[in-house]
Amino acid sequence: MAQKNNSDIGQLPFERAIEELETIVKRLEEGKVPLEESVAIYERGEALKRRCEELLRQAEARVEKITLDATGKPTGSEPLDVE
Amino acid sequence: MTVSPKLNPAYISAMSTLLISHPACLEHLTPLGHPERPDRLRAVERALEAEKFQTLARAEAPLAPFEIVALVHPMDYITAIRDATPKEGMVRLDADTSMSPGSFEAALRAAGGAITAVDEVLAKKAQNAFVATRPPGHHAETARPMGFCLFDNAAIAARYAQDHHGIARVAIVDFDVHHGNGSQEIFWADKTVMYCSTHQMPLFPGTGAVGESGEYNTVVNAPLRPGDGAAAFRAAFESRILPRLGDFRPELIVISAGFDAHIRDPLANINLEEEDFSWATQRLMEVADRCAGGRVVSLLEGGYDLQALGNSVAAHVSALMQG
Repeated sequence: MAQKNNSDIGQLPFERAIEELETIVKRLEEGKVPLEESVAIYERGEALKRRCEELLRQAEARVEKITLDATGKPTGSEPLDVE
Repeated sequence: MTVSPKLNPAYISAMSTLLISHPACLEHLTPLGHPERPDRLRAVERALEAEKFQTLARAEAPLAPFEIVALVHPMDYITAIRDATPKEGMVRLDADTSMSPGSFEAALRAAGGAITAVDEVLAKKAQNAFVATRPPGHHAETARPMGFCLFDNAAIAARYAQDHHGIARVAIVDFDVHHGNGSQEIFWADKTVMYCSTHQMPLFPGTGAVGESGEYNTVVNAPLRPGDGAAAFRAAFESRILPRLGDFRPELIVISAGFDAHIRDPLANINLEEEDFSWATQRLMEVADRCAGGRVVSLLEGGYDLQALGNSVAAHVSALMQG
């Protein structure tokens, strides 16, 4: 049975993850995925979606940090732990 | 599953549930590791050996005559499938679908089992029937094998009931976790056959959106989302499928009974359990009681976790026996 290893996804940059996710969505919608692999590909898509959401959350947290600290004088962009 | 109907006292006592199968369906071999494998049927047979199933009437599936398969599939397609049968080894028809030397006979017996089920139920020799055969059928389109399927057994059952028994309206209800693109395509522009399906989306084959409703609004798709369970499944039945079935007033209900929406199934992400299949079966039997004289013909489609498949078939057939 086709099993994709999704352990690489945790390291993917946003652009790569969203690009692969879009490809997966397109393939699933067009019905071009074999039945046997369909669920594995869907699950990879879910993992990619979670990765994209995680990266977006981190980006939003950074933006928020700058906004909140900007009291007239920008204080830089100190990384924020969103976990 | 070798007892002749005529020799089985339970069968003579009539209006029971008929179980149809054939050992030749074990001879449709698929590549090593393929989920649609002969052990599926062995798991079903084992589950139906339990004491409570001893009163089942049992019959063997005959070979379907080509001319009856041709009610759905063009003769050219049937002979092309026959001619594709390898003398040894295996041939792949697509990424999912393959044939071994025994596949063509198995496919004809799967269709033949569906035909016999229709004959026996419409002759009132059985109240309802379950056909435990493989390969499954609901992905096979008019002239295209697909998704483990060669001939659309449910479609053949429906057309045969109309053509040979004068049934006006047939409903096919498909609770396999994959959408039955073949059945939908075959009956897309046929107002005499309603096709209803619950299935996971997104998933193979990609069809089955709510908006796909057929030329005459007789296609009823009720897609489920990955992770959905009993509540969403039952709501889909109650809010979308059962009311439409009631309005359509089928004279026969054919169930495309796939059990891969079970939580244990490796090919999907729906979380049903055995009792959900019992529940769906009971609801469909209620509709059949109201407008179809209780006539239900159920055909095995998917279901790839052997334990879940055996238990789910047992639950489904138990429900049929309580009709």
